[in-house]
This record gives sequence, C-alpha cells and structure tokens, in this order.
Amino acid sequence: MKDRLTVMMLSWEYPPRVIGGISPHIYFLSKHLAKQDVKVYVITCDFPGAPAHEVIDGVEVYRVDSYKNPAPDFATWVYLMNMNMQRETAALTRKIADKIDVFHAHDWLVANAGIGLKHVFRKPLLVTMHSTEMGRRDGLHTTTEKMIHETEAWLCYEAWKVICCSDYMISHVKYVFGLPSDKLVMVPNGVNTHNYDGNGDLKDFRSKFALPEEKIILYVGRLVYEKGIHVLINAVPKILSKVDAKFIIVGSGYMKEQLLNIVRSMGLEHKVLFEGFMDEPTLLKLQRCADVSVVPSLFEPFGIVALEAMAAKSPVVASDTGGLSEIIEHDVTGVKVYPNNPDSLAWGIAKVLLDENYAKYVRDNAFKRVQEKYDWAKIAQQTKGIYEGVLGEYSKSFWAK
Amino acid sequence: MRVIIFSWEYPPRVVGQLSGYISTLSTQLASSKVNVNVVTYDDSTTGQTQESSGVKTFRVANPVRTHIGVLTWVLTLNQEVERAAANIYYESNNQVALIDVHDWHFIPAAVTLKNGLGIPFVYSVESLEDHRSPNANVSYNMAIKSIEWLGFYEAAGISVKSEWMKDEVVRIYKVPQEKITVISTAPSSLVKEVLKLYSKVAEANKHER
Repeated sequence: MKDRLTVMMLSWEYPPRVIGGISPHIYFLSKHLAKQDVKVYVITCDFPGAPAHEVIDGVEVYRVDSYKNPAPDFATWVYLMNMNMQRETAALTRKIADKIDVFHAHDWLVANAGIGLKHVFRKPLLVTMHSTEMGRRDGLHTTTEKMIHETEAWLCYEAWKVICCSDYMISHVKYVFGLPSDKLVMVPNGVNTHNYDGNGDLKDFRSKFALPEEKIILYVGRLVYEKGIHVLINAVPKILSKVDAKFIIVGSGYMKEQLLNIVRSMGLEHKVLFEGFMDEPTLLKLQRCADVSVVPSLFEPFGIVALEAMAAKSPVVASDTGGLSEIIEHDVTGVKVYPNNPDSLAWGIAKVLLDENYAKYVRDNAFKRVQEKYDWAKIAQQTKGIYEGVLGEYSKSFWAK
Repeated sequence: MRVIIFSWEYPPRVVGQLSGYISTLSTQLASSKVNVNVVTYDDSTTGQTQESSGVKTFRVANPVRTHIGVLTWVLTLNQEVERAAANIYYESNNQVALIDVHDWHFIPAAVTLKNGLGIPFVYSVESLEDHRSPNANVSYNMAIKSIEWLGFYEAAGISVKSEWMKDEVVRIYKVPQEKITVISTAPSSLVKEVLKLYSKVAEANKHER
C-alpha cells in the first residue's frame, strides 16, 4: 500500500452551507483525519460566495455546481445534483495525482454519486447513515418517502461498511434495511469543547434575550415534527406556573406558523421568542447563557444538540429516545424525560431550574463526559482504523488485482 | 473495435422506433467485426430474452422500485448502466473505444464514464424533448432538456438521422454544425456511415490521451 491513505468524502453540505448536523460532522471529521495524515477531499454542493475549490485545515474542498438543472421537486433535485456531483468527482478523481483509496458517502443525499463512483473506479464505498427516512417520517407514507427509503437500502447494500453514530442507530439501521451485524460499525459523533471557550461577561448579551429574573430555556433545532418542538410548546404554561422563564427557540421549519399560532392562542408571545436561524457566534454565546437546554425529540439518531449544550456547560433535559438515551445518563449528566409527554418534560425542566446545586452537578459531569468520550481526534482515529480495515479486505478482492 | 451501446429500449422491450433501430444497428455492426455490447433496461414484464448472434447484451434492473416520475427512475437506473459499462471496461483490459448513447436517458452514465475513465461518447439523437413536449417549459421538462444539453456539450460526436434534425439541434441547443453527423438509415449505407463516425471519434480520443 502507498504511504498515505486518500479519502473522497461526499456530502451535500459543508460549511458555510449548513442545513443540518452533517455539515459540522464532515468539517470536524475531515479536519481531524487530515491531522492524522489522511488526505481528504470533500465534494459538496455549491454555496453563494464560497469558492469552487479551497483548502481548509489541510482538507481539499470542492464545491459542485448543484442548482443549474431545473427540478420539479426536492427528491428529483437530489438525483440531478448527484448527476453533477458524479461528473465533477469523476473528472477530479481521474485528474489528481493522489490515488483515491475509498469513497465515503453521507446519507442518501449522495447515494447515486457514491454508488456510481464505486463501480466506475472499482474502489470501496463506505457510508455513514446519519438518519433514515423511516425514522424521520415515523413510517413510510408517500411514494417519495418509499423511494427515498429504497435509495437508502440500495446505498447500504452497496457499502462495504455502514457507520452509525449511536448504538440506537445501529439497531435501527440493521432492522430497517435487514443488514448483517458485521457490516455495521458504531462511531460516535463529536463536539468541539473549545467552541465554547471564552471569558468575559455575558450579562449584556443575555439581557438582549431575557429579563434578569427570567431563566433562559433554550431549544436549538429545526421546527419539524420529529424534533418534538410541539411538545415543548405544549409544556410552556406548565413550566411557567412553577418558574419564571423565557423560551428561546432557534431554528426554522415547516411547523413554525402552527407553533406561533399555539403560542398566540395561549397569550404567551412575550415568553416565547422564535429567533429563526442564528449565526454561529451568537448561538455559541446563547448556549453558554442557557439555564437549561431542551432536546424534546421524538426521533433522534444521535442528538448533537445535547452534546453541544454539555460542552457549553448548560444543563440538558432530553427525551429518553434514540441516541439521546446513550448520551445522557439520568441524574448524572442530565435529565431524561418521557418522549412526547409535556408533563414529563415540564417536570424535568423545573427540576433543573429550581435546584441550582443539582443543575451544577449534572453540568459539571456532562462537561467531563464530553471531553472523555466525544473528542474528534479519537473519532477520526477510529474512522481511520475502519478505512484501513476495509482496505485490507479490499486488497484481497479481485477488484484490487 | 469494442463499443458499448446505451439504449433504454431493446427487443423484446419496445417503447418506440428506437428498439428496432438499435437491434438492426447492433446486429449489422457485429457482422462487420465490431465487438458490440448493448446495455439496456431489464424489463421483467417482457419475459425471456433471446440474444441475437454476435451482440452481447447487458440488461440492468432499477435498484429502486418505487418512483415519483420518469426522471428519478432514469437517474437511479443510470448507476446500474455505469456499473455494467465499467464491468465491460475492466474485463476487456480497458479496451473500450467509445460509447454510443441513444437519446437522453443514459446520458448521465455516459458523462460520468467519459470524465472518469476517458471513454468518449457519441450522442445519437432519436428525438428531442422540445418535439416530444412542445412548449412545455415547466421544470420537469426543462430538467430533461438540461440533460440533453449536457449530452450535446460533453459528446465527442453527435449523430442524427435527418438534415432537419441537424438544424433543430443547432437551433435549439446552439451546437456547432461540424459536431453533428447526419447518418443515412438506408440499409446499404447505415453501418458504413456509423463506423466512419465511430472511427473518427475513437481516433480523436487516442490523440487526446
């Protein structure tokens, strides 16, 4: 084998294009792989103002022209984008001096490109399944959802190994696509605690969001059904009856209007702020100010928001579901509540807000846990090990001859 | 000379005129000592298939069964077309002179194979979206047109069956005239003219390498 492992990472999002959790995941994973002497190429969609090619922290980033083809709907756009991604990645793979060892695709959004490139260059394909359509939609109800589900199944079938970020996702993916156990590997998601370093008084910053006597209850996430934001909104009056607080909702999504109407009908617009999308520096500060961070998800493959809150030293209240169940140890690193249960959620939030010693206790434990277990350098090392294992198997296959 | 022909219809699957034409063309090419490989869609509803002598056929099924439209159906089928073509390429020790892709359906695969493996392709035009769906300027048809455009842009050569179609390709897609060859489909001259185009494209590609 040649000296340096070379990976082509395919993702539909990479900073500054941030749609969900995949974008920061690719950013940190690639950066830390590069630190461990892995040559990483990231192929992603274009973004206004971002260059078509740049080197970031030793990672070669290529942004593919993704919006030129007219598309009747989102799913068709995804497949057309894959056509362009494959075209540009194929040309790049042929052109560059580095020989690509593995293609690593993230989610169905780059399934076609990953599968096509695997066969054209006869190199192993690795897949990280960050989520599934079945989980996102709580079942398969429409033709589009079935098509996406089958695309995910096809991607998992074509992959040499399927990586998931939690034990929960391993069992979910295994069940949903009928995969053999030895095809699945668990590598947790990571968080960068240094993002939350910083000294200085946040009093002025805090006062933009809440009165001094109000506790800050923070929600960060898309306003969509699976994230359970409606459960938090339904819990608002129950919480306010016990403690004075300001609810700050960061993120947007199709449920926004509906949620706003509920808040209006309760007459609590002055207590619930919908902030929409928030720039990163502001969000990082806000997470440090939060007296409690709430993750009320109904389906959560991993739950990166909980880790971020832990890194920001904000106590976490999360539903006992999916990846969150593994991240949070109840009464040690946070509070776990029943999913889809506003009473349970209200109880958990009040517990943290009414007992400062308890809040401090879980906050300190949580920060320690994040440093020990969810460190990107360790995660990159694990991922490199998986690449090496796959290449070892591949070298004995007829494709390598 | 080893060539791969891409067509979404091939007997016994008959959607329009293309199926019969590809059958005639590939059989005649095979008898002119061309190593002909046809990659086509495996339509399970047509039952047993019989391969005509000399022509190797590769029928690929769609890995995704549920679709919301022709576009998504085509775009997922393309990866299987790529896989079949890549297998022919590697098993022949990288000796594929060119790909002849008929109509828009498998253009994405031809484009990837060109960019990834350096196999040039000829885009053979049977019909255009502008004629199939006149004045259909909704994104669905526009997406198909954008794939046709990509085919014209990336093709090493373009073949059409009439002077009229040549003019249409020039008019609609602003393709330079010298890139387009009009092939006479008369039985006496078909193979001769197609082979002339194939040789030109294969020769040009050799120099490029």
